[in-house]
Amino acid sequence: MTDTSYDMEPFHLQFPFTRSLGSTMSTFFSALAEGQIIGVRIGDRVVAPPMEYDPETGADAGSEWVKVGPKGTVGTWTWVPEPTRLHPVQEPFAFAFITLDGADTPILHAVKASEDQLAAGLRVEAQFKTGDDVNGRIDDIVFVPASDPSPSEGAGEAYTAPAEPEVQMMDAFCDLVYVDNFAPATREWAAALMQGRLFGRRCPKCDRMIIGANPMCSVDGIFLGDGAVVELEGTGVVSNFTVITPTPYPGQKETEPFVRCSIMIDGADAVIGQQEIVGVPASEVRVGMRVAIEWAPEGERNVDDLGNGNHGATAGAVRGWRPTGEPDEPAENYVERMM
Amino acid sequence: MPRSENDIAIVGFAQSPMLRRSENTEAEMMLPTVQGAIKMAGLEKEDIGFTVSGSCDYLSGRGFSFVANVDAYGAWPPINESHVEMDGAWAMYEAFIHLLLGHIDTALAAGVGKTSNSDPTTLYTIEMDPYYLTPLGADPWSLAALQYRALLDSGKATERDVAEVVARNLANAKGNINAQVSGDVSVDEILAQPYVRNPLRKADLPPVTDGCAAVVLARGKKAYDLCERPVWITGFDHRVEPHLPTLRSDLTVSESTRLAAEGAGAGNGPIDLAEIYAPFSFQELILRESLGLSDDTVVNASGGAQGANPVMVTGLLRVIAAAQAIMDGRANRALAHATSGPCLQQNLVCILEGDE
Repeated sequence: MTDTSYDMEPFHLQFPFTRSLGSTMSTFFSALAEGQIIGVRIGDRVVAPPMEYDPETGADAGSEWVKVGPKGTVGTWTWVPEPTRLHPVQEPFAFAFITLDGADTPILHAVKASEDQLAAGLRVEAQFKTGDDVNGRIDDIVFVPASDPSPSEGAGEAYTAPAEPEVQMMDAFCDLVYVDNFAPATREWAAALMQGRLFGRRCPKCDRMIIGANPMCSVDGIFLGDGAVVELEGTGVVSNFTVITPTPYPGQKETEPFVRCSIMIDGADAVIGQQEIVGVPASEVRVGMRVAIEWAPEGERNVDDLGNGNHGATAGAVRGWRPTGEPDEPAENYVERMM
Repeated sequence: MPRSENDIAIVGFAQSPMLRRSENTEAEMMLPTVQGAIKMAGLEKEDIGFTVSGSCDYLSGRGFSFVANVDAYGAWPPINESHVEMDGAWAMYEAFIHLLLGHIDTALAAGVGKTSNSDPTTLYTIEMDPYYLTPLGADPWSLAALQYRALLDSGKATERDVAEVVARNLANAKGNINAQVSGDVSVDEILAQPYVRNPLRKADLPPVTDGCAAVVLARGKKAYDLCERPVWITGFDHRVEPHLPTLRSDLTVSESTRLAAEGAGAGNGPIDLAEIYAPFSFQELILRESLGLSDDTVVNASGGAQGANPVMVTGLLRVIAAAQAIMDGRANRALAHATSGPCLQQNLVCILEGDE
C-alpha cells in the first residue's frame, strides 16, 4: 500500500534544549571561544576533542589539558553536495576526520574547500568565529585548506584552564518533523463523527463493545471487522472525571478550572476519554451522572485534532456532554473501572 | 548433539508486509504478526510466558506508542511484558535470557518500526553525541560515507566491489516474497549513479520501510512438542563500541562484531548461511571479514537490508531468514547478525542450528 492521500498535516516535535556542559566540555568550549582548541591527555595519547572518561577503560580522563591544532590532517572524508538546515555550512562542503596537530584521535568536522581538493593527507586549519557569532559550541569553528602546511605552533603544549570556565551551558534547538497518516479505523471514526454518528465494534470472542478509532479487541488480540460494527446512541454515564486548574503553557486556551470526563456510552464496554461537560459547572460533575452528547452544528464540525488510536477522541465534532437530569446510576458501578 | 532443558529454540515466527508506507499504526501492524507467530508455534496467547518488543517512539513520532502496542498482545489477563528501544533482535536476546532462568518455557519477541513518518537524516542526527556531532548536522549518510571512504582508502575494497554487493542483494531479494525492493541492476548502472555523499550512492542506501516481525522461543522439550524441526540458538552475544566514531581506531574493521561472533561461538563449526544486517551496502564487506566468514558461506540469500529496512525490525528479520533456512533444511548451521548506531557501533551475533 503506497497510498499517501490520507497523510496528516506535518507535525513538529520541538525540544528547545539548554544543556549543562560539565567540567570537561565547559573547559573545551570556553577555550574554543577564546580561539584555542584543546584535548585531554589520557595515558600515552591525547584525545581531542576531550572526553570526560577514557573511552577504552571508562576511567575518569582527568584534566591534563593539551593545546592541539589549529592545523590538522584529513583522514577519511565525504562530500555533502546539498546541505540541509542542520549542517553548519550552507554551501557544498566536506565532512572529514581531522587529526589535529598534537592529538592522537581525530575530530569530525566540516571542511570548506572544493571537492577535488579533498584527499587523505590534506592539511587544513580551523577558522574561528569571532565577536557575537561565538556560541560556545562545536560549530564555532570550521576548517579550510591550510595556507601553510607547516606544523601548528604550540601544539602539544600544556593548556592551563581557568578555574571557572566561561561557557557553562549550550543551547540546542531540536526540531523533528513528522508526517503520519490516518489509519483506516481512524478514517472510519472521523467520517462517523462528521456525520454525527457514534459506533462501536462488538468482539465475537469476549462480547465486549469496543468504541472509537480502534479496529481491535485489545483483550483478545483480534481484529474486529466491518461485520462487528454496531451503531450507538449518544447517551452514557460519567464513569470518572478530573477537574484541571490550568497552568499557562504554549497552546493552553483554558483560564478557569475545567472538567474532563470519561464517558461510558450506553451499550459500550470501553469508555471514551477526555470529554467536556456542558451546561453545569465543574463542581457539579459526579460519577454516575447521566449525559447525552451535544454535537457541534453540522457546518462547524471538524476532526482536525483527531489522531490514530483514539487520540483526540471526539475532536472538534462534539461540543460536550450535557447532563440529562435523569437519576444517577449508582457510582459504585464505576469506581473500580479503569477504562 | 542431544538437547537439554537449557537449550532454547525458535519454534515460530511471522512478519508483516514490508512497505514503503503502511497505512496502519504500529499496533495494527503488530497484531496479525504477533498472533501469526504464536499460531505458527501452535500456541494460544495465554501460553506465552514472557513477551518483549523492540521499537522507538521517535520513528513514528507518537509518544508512548510502545505502550499502545501492547494492545496487539491481547494483554488481558495482564501478561509479563518488557520493551527495549532497540532492534527486535535485542528483544529476542532478552527473551532468550529470560528463558535461561528456567521458570518459563515459552517467550515471544517482536520488533516494529513505522519509519516512514520521520526523516531519517534528521532523526538520527539528533540521536548523535549532542555536544560534538549533532550541532554539526552529522547525518547518517555522511557518517556512513566516512566509513566507506576509509574502506576504499584501506585498499580492502573498490567501489565496484561494493556495487556488486548491491546488485547481488537486489537479485537475491527477487526470491524473497517479503522483500520491498528487488530487481536486476547492473554494476555499471550502479556505478553511473551520482554520489549522495561521496563515495556513497543512492543504491548504497537502505530503503525506507514500515514493518514488523515476531518470533516465538521455547525451551528444552517444549520446543519438540511445538515444532518438528526447532531452530536451536546455540550462541548469542552482543557488544558495543564508543559512541563517537572518531574514537574507534579503524573504521574498516568492526571489533564489536568480531567479539560478538567469538562470544557466540561462530567459529566452532562451519556456517552454511549468514544473514547480515548491513544498513549501508559496503558494510556487508566489513562485517563478512569481522565475522570471519569463509567463502563457502551463503551471505544474505534474502537480499538483506537492501531488500527491506524497517528500522527496529531488520535485525530480527535476519534471524527469521536464517531460521527459515534451517526449518526448510537449506542450512543446518546459520549465523544471524544485527547492528545499531553510527558506523556499526553495536553488533549482535546469533548462531542457529537444526538437529542433524
